[in-house]
Amino acid sequence: MTETPLARIQTRHQMIRFFDGYALERMEELDERKLKRPLVKTHLLELLDGKEARTAEGLQAIFARRDVHLRPLDESLFLVADNHEAEIGFLERLRPRIVALYSTLESEKIKKWVRHLVLRSPEIDHVWLSGTTFNVLWELVVRLSRPHRFTRLTFTHQSIFDIDGSTGGPPEEEEEEEEDASQHSGEEDREEIVERRDTTFRLVDRIGVIHEKLDKLQRIYSPLHAISQLRFPSPVGRGGHDFYDNGRVTNRSESFRDHRSHLLFVVRIYERLLKSTEDQAWYSIQESVGLPGQFRNIVGAPVVVRFQEPLDPAVFKHWIAATFERKRNKFRLWGHPIPLGPTKVHVYGVDRHLWQPLFLELTAKGCTAIIPNGTCGNTVHRLVTNIQRYLDPGAEAFIGNKPYKQMVEESAQGVPYDLDAE
Amino acid sequence: MTSTPNELVKDPLFQLNAVLWLAQPLPGKSEITPLLYNQGFTVHAIAPLLGPPLDLRLVAQEAGISMQERVRPDLVLTQEKGHKFAFTECKARSFGPTSPTAEQARSLLVVAGPRAAEVLALASGQVADSLLAFVIPEDDRQPLIQTLLSLRDELAEKKLRAGRFSVLGLALTDTDISIVINDIGSAFFALPAGTNPFMKREPDTDPRPLYFIPYDPDVVRPQSEQEKEFCKRVLFERMHSSVVAAVGRANPPAQLALECQKILNDAMFGMYGQWENRDSARHMRRLCRQFMGALTQAVNAVVPDTMAFRPGVGWKISLRDPQQHETLIDALTCFPCEKLDLRTEPQPDLFDDQDNNAGAADRA
Repeated sequence: MTETPLARIQTRHQMIRFFDGYALERMEELDERKLKRPLVKTHLLELLDGKEARTAEGLQAIFARRDVHLRPLDESLFLVADNHEAEIGFLERLRPRIVALYSTLESEKIKKWVRHLVLRSPEIDHVWLSGTTFNVLWELVVRLSRPHRFTRLTFTHQSIFDIDGSTGGPPEEEEEEEEDASQHSGEEDREEIVERRDTTFRLVDRIGVIHEKLDKLQRIYSPLHAISQLRFPSPVGRGGHDFYDNGRVTNRSESFRDHRSHLLFVVRIYERLLKSTEDQAWYSIQESVGLPGQFRNIVGAPVVVRFQEPLDPAVFKHWIAATFERKRNKFRLWGHPIPLGPTKVHVYGVDRHLWQPLFLELTAKGCTAIIPNGTCGNTVHRLVTNIQRYLDPGAEAFIGNKPYKQMVEESAQGVPYDLDAE
Repeated sequence: MTSTPNELVKDPLFQLNAVLWLAQPLPGKSEITPLLYNQGFTVHAIAPLLGPPLDLRLVAQEAGISMQERVRPDLVLTQEKGHKFAFTECKARSFGPTSPTAEQARSLLVVAGPRAAEVLALASGQVADSLLAFVIPEDDRQPLIQTLLSLRDELAEKKLRAGRFSVLGLALTDTDISIVINDIGSAFFALPAGTNPFMKREPDTDPRPLYFIPYDPDVVRPQSEQEKEFCKRVLFERMHSSVVAAVGRANPPAQLALECQKILNDAMFGMYGQWENRDSARHMRRLCRQFMGALTQAVNAVVPDTMAFRPGVGWKISLRDPQQHETLIDALTCFPCEKLDLRTEPQPDLFDDQDNNAGAADRA
């Protein structure tokens, strides 16, 4: 199959045919162990809820501000091009707040492109799938797939705030480039040797076998809660769909339609989770019953993350310094911590990516966040994802008194899983 | 550590925020046990302006009983299932029956009485039980009970039916902070009579939780200097986060206009907009101008001609291009609130009465 310039693709149907052909050819290459060209990669992106993002014109304007041009193919599908890379791929609005960028560019190239786009755009964020969310998705994989099918899970926990006695000095600046280069090392990525406390390993086995063992293993070894990648086996053929914690999804199936239906399935769950997080967690003063405008009531629920074991004071100190003394930090937070004890600070700060306020109490035992009305639910999911990845893989999260896991489970209930959806 | 714990339990803002946390949903085994939420109580209204029924005010007038015409309890808590309402007032210390505060207490006793539904503009069946609850340091609990008994008898003597009351004492040990509750409060809130720990303490650690309401000009008088400074710092930090968020979200080239009202409402969860005390609202605007003045000066030193105050409009911020935007964000985020003068009260200035971004008081 020869490469098709994406600009020649004029319709959705042509795009699907192109990706289907592409997917099939890549599968054949995989079988022959001579993969020459990259797979179809999808990046799920969340649009900050605002009027502008709701229309096709608004979407084009948001991307145009970042020198990215969206040429409409139909009302929700666009060809994506920029001044430097020319053709990037296709962008589809899957749900009102979530778009998918499909690309056949090489993995490192498209990851870098997306990372750069998101970093510069407060209106755009990755879809953040926490370890807790992945654990619920894993249970769905078990229910949806036959036990003999193979799957692949990756567990990632990097105790970056745990100071190694041998190297002890001040923490190094955490650059975005380094962050992403060290994570999501799928098959297409080069492994990197990093000398620090780090739990990253991949498990490939039959679903039935993993299902039988995983729960017990998680109880013994908490980093196994920090699932950072999960494969949904394709029900229509070989391979499957690899979902990563930052919303990247690699199509390792033979069918782009199957890939898209899996994206829709997870995105619907995520959208519900976003809404329920915002419905419950947003704090605001609202008019109460009685005389309008006279009585005001405070509504909302705090977000509480509880660590399995309290952090060592040195780790806590390192976490706070590495987060709030650096412009680029893993948690993308800004604020000036008010110290209230050796392992307690209050931060009335801002989510530095979405530029929305949030108020935090951080202690060695966990984190309590007050999310003012309007702050995107993604802030919560990024916080939980990063805490599980970098601080405590077994950390439990709650919105008010409701376990975060229960919210994910409720969000997943009744979501259709069918190939022909939408 | 910002404050001695003994001072903390006397601080009405700590008391108010502690009661707010007691009525929030929280998971089990948290640092705060939400005793009231666990019994079904939530916040019905924050600082609602309430008036005793007119006929009762006339009776009080004729009897020569001094009573406030309007009263604003710190909180009204409700248990929807039992149609219960607790009119809650936080106090730094007890007061006597002849003190000016007794006027407020008489009104609160009447408001929380058998006519509570009418006062809250609810149907009579919507209020099955009501109570006046004072929150006070435990050492002052008994003296305040005596005062309230005396005021209740005084009202009853003149045929003014007062509500039941309970005084919730805040007690401190090395390991926790508790609510001490008497039999009436115990029956109303369905909590055990006696000491109910609700907030764990860690060694050398200030126990205060995140503040929902960080500042209230009406309660700063009984606060210690340390408490005032802490609360002002929190208020400034929250105004700072509002400005940083607004500038960070903007797309250059653009002109932003930040009004006093928006900054204060962002910092106070919208409470500023309903302040009816003119002096308090004015005081808050002065604090806003103090903070924004210092921020403007610091930012313009790094990125000249970027921020400017326009009377009647607020602060104009010019975002010229992405590079200047980035430099501006750096300058804004580096600004240290803790280095501001937190002691000196802001003085009246030329813009006190020109600011068209006034609170409820000035719109009334």
